[in-house]
Amino acid sequence: MNLNIDAQKQQTYDAIVVGTGISGGWAAKELTQKGLKTLVLERGRDVKHVVDYPTMTKDPWQLPHGNKLTEEELKFYPVQSRTNWVSQANKHWWVKDTENPYTEVKPFDWIRGYHTGGRSIMWGKQTYRLSDLDFTANAKDGVGVDWPIRYADLAPWYDYVETFIGVSGRAEGIPHLPDGKFLPPMELNCVEETFRDKVAEKFNGRKITIGRVAHLTAPLPHDPSRGVCQSRNMCDRGCPYGAYFSSNASTLPAAAKTGNMTLKPNAIVHSIIYDEKKGKAIGVKVLDAETKQEVDYFAKIIFLNASTLGSTFILMNSISNRFPNGLGNGSGELGHNIMDHQYRAGATALVEGYEDKYYVGRRPNGIYIPRFRNVGDDKRTDYLRGFGYQGAASRTEWQRGVREMSFGEDLKNSLMEPGGWSIGITGFGECLPSHSNHVTLNKDKTDIYGLPTLSFDAEWGPNEKAMRKDMKDSAAEMLEAAGFKNVTTYDNPDNIGLGIHEMGTARMGKDPKTSVLNKWNAVHEAPNVFVTDGAAMTSSACQNPSLTYMALTARAAEYAVNELKKGNL
Amino acid sequence: MNRREAIQRTALALGYAISAPAMMGVLNGCKPSPELAFKPVFFTEPQAQTIAELSEIILPKTTTPGAKDAGVPGFIDSMLKEVYGKEAQEKFIEGLNAFEEDAKKTLGDGFMDLKPEQRVAHFKKHHDEALSAAGKGGPTGWWNAGKDGDKPFVLKVKELTLLGFFTSQPGATEVLQYKQVPGPYHGCVPLAEVGKAWAT
Repeated sequence: MNLNIDAQKQQTYDAIVVGTGISGGWAAKELTQKGLKTLVLERGRDVKHVVDYPTMTKDPWQLPHGNKLTEEELKFYPVQSRTNWVSQANKHWWVKDTENPYTEVKPFDWIRGYHTGGRSIMWGKQTYRLSDLDFTANAKDGVGVDWPIRYADLAPWYDYVETFIGVSGRAEGIPHLPDGKFLPPMELNCVEETFRDKVAEKFNGRKITIGRVAHLTAPLPHDPSRGVCQSRNMCDRGCPYGAYFSSNASTLPAAAKTGNMTLKPNAIVHSIIYDEKKGKAIGVKVLDAETKQEVDYFAKIIFLNASTLGSTFILMNSISNRFPNGLGNGSGELGHNIMDHQYRAGATALVEGYEDKYYVGRRPNGIYIPRFRNVGDDKRTDYLRGFGYQGAASRTEWQRGVREMSFGEDLKNSLMEPGGWSIGITGFGECLPSHSNHVTLNKDKTDIYGLPTLSFDAEWGPNEKAMRKDMKDSAAEMLEAAGFKNVTTYDNPDNIGLGIHEMGTARMGKDPKTSVLNKWNAVHEAPNVFVTDGAAMTSSACQNPSLTYMALTARAAEYAVNELKKGNL
Repeated sequence: MNRREAIQRTALALGYAISAPAMMGVLNGCKPSPELAFKPVFFTEPQAQTIAELSEIILPKTTTPGAKDAGVPGFIDSMLKEVYGKEAQEKFIEGLNAFEEDAKKTLGDGFMDLKPEQRVAHFKKHHDEALSAAGKGGPTGWWNAGKDGDKPFVLKVKELTLLGFFTSQPGATEVLQYKQVPGPYHGCVPLAEVGKAWAT
């Protein structure tokens, strides 16, 4: 009996954070810096910054097969490779689908990375604020439920997060895409500058700006361990300079420095332990990924940052007499309202001129065209909300040689010169929350640990489809207006999930009857359990969402610690 | 391809089975030595000779290295074995056989038995036909006209030759220019100051 009590003491912390990705790293940093002894659980293997980036300095000739996967390797990644991004350089960051099954009632691309740092290692670094155009949208349109917060609630936390992680960008004074605490912007190239000027001129001041990105373009005084971007554009391998923000480069080292963090890799959370007598969550049940042994850990507060569907899975799998349908699921909304961003629809063009201009460096960034639909005087009758564009102009390189008529010495000589300029933009479109887009727990299909798996039943709705058409048309319209040639629209297949911005499934809201989380990201029915990753999103907006997860996490952590001190949790 | 490259390609072809430190050990322990004959792992010897010759016709040695110098024939052989699926492999070999048959039919000899200028002419005929049949393609990136399996044989060889060559060290650094660490990005620079095209 005493032994058990001792063991339980050893497994007791002030706080538990589940997940080490973009939001989990933030939870770990905030809670440890506020003095909480914090257990940080990562389901995958450990990845140490720089030390565990095996391909980070490999030149093209040091990667086999022109960086393409072999047929044998592809067998492990039938879903992950739908992105076309899995390569020899980065294959170690993607889950093997063969070991991580799920069910697609309708096609859903579930793209994951299970290791310390999660997808913060291979994310796109695009970093945008939401605004009240987004936070009021559901209420205004009568779609889903209203966000329980407004921009003013999150603005200081955006400031706080941006200052710490380092965000490069240009202040533009756009009310619905608020400026942040920016490091110097990256440069546009000559063609992008022309495009910006022409679009402003022909579309009544419509803005094109350089992408706002979590890359350092100047040193961070508070974090000298991170260096400035060297334009290698090999970010997906891990950055030896720590120039882009990842948990591994930034938040986890900050958490470790406090001495308050215990980081446990290979620790798969099975469920949250709910104490019926105390009427509260008291810890988590963990499976050791290597030994498959079950261990319970205890804490006063629990942060779920296991990624949108990972966190929702844990809540769904946390069954008790109090919560027979999943912890905090009194509303019946847990697992519902899954959202993503649709993209891969836009236009490309050829650009004449500028043959005497080129660039130096591989900029890990592009242009951004902030949303202009259903903003201000613009009113669409065919769809709600809007989209932003990402894209870039560049000169064609040796790849163009395949379709050149020349070969031999002529071809070789011509490819030593950069080719003509081309430009392309793709929309990133908002997705409406819909109760019918959902995941369920599939107990008939278990994984290698005997855990149930998720079953996806979600698809783009009529609003997304109508918007998608405009994503193509408006792209072509701008490229034409800029005077570019051979303007061609495209609409490539795009399952929900492929945006890798999965959101919703445990939405925030004012009413426990219609939402899972309250305005502090705490579970309405279990207020010492916080969910601060993409699961919390009440609507998707059209901006890349990671910054918002980080800001929500820092805000929730402060609230949680204050409540803990007051004895309320 | 020198010995170092040969070992590197073989080791890397095994990919994930070898840890990075182990691979460095293999490479560092290997001293440069004279040329090894290219030992095909997918092609027969005669097929490999044809592919090697075609790659050199596409990107010949000039004042700078050519496809053979850059190890392109071995690269293509390895790509066919490791990266092409079964169906794509079969189509490739069908295309190679048809190319060979056409040489016999129209020029009276197998491709490797032709005179060098006849080989170039035979390649040119197939190359021009394939390109005019395929149309112009899209404006950016890899050319998608005809999915992988459908691209005519000569264009697959051209594509593989370009990929192998410009991702090789001689192709990237001696024919084009390459900097692993370019430093801060400059978006609008006179071409004359930059010089040649970037490899990546």
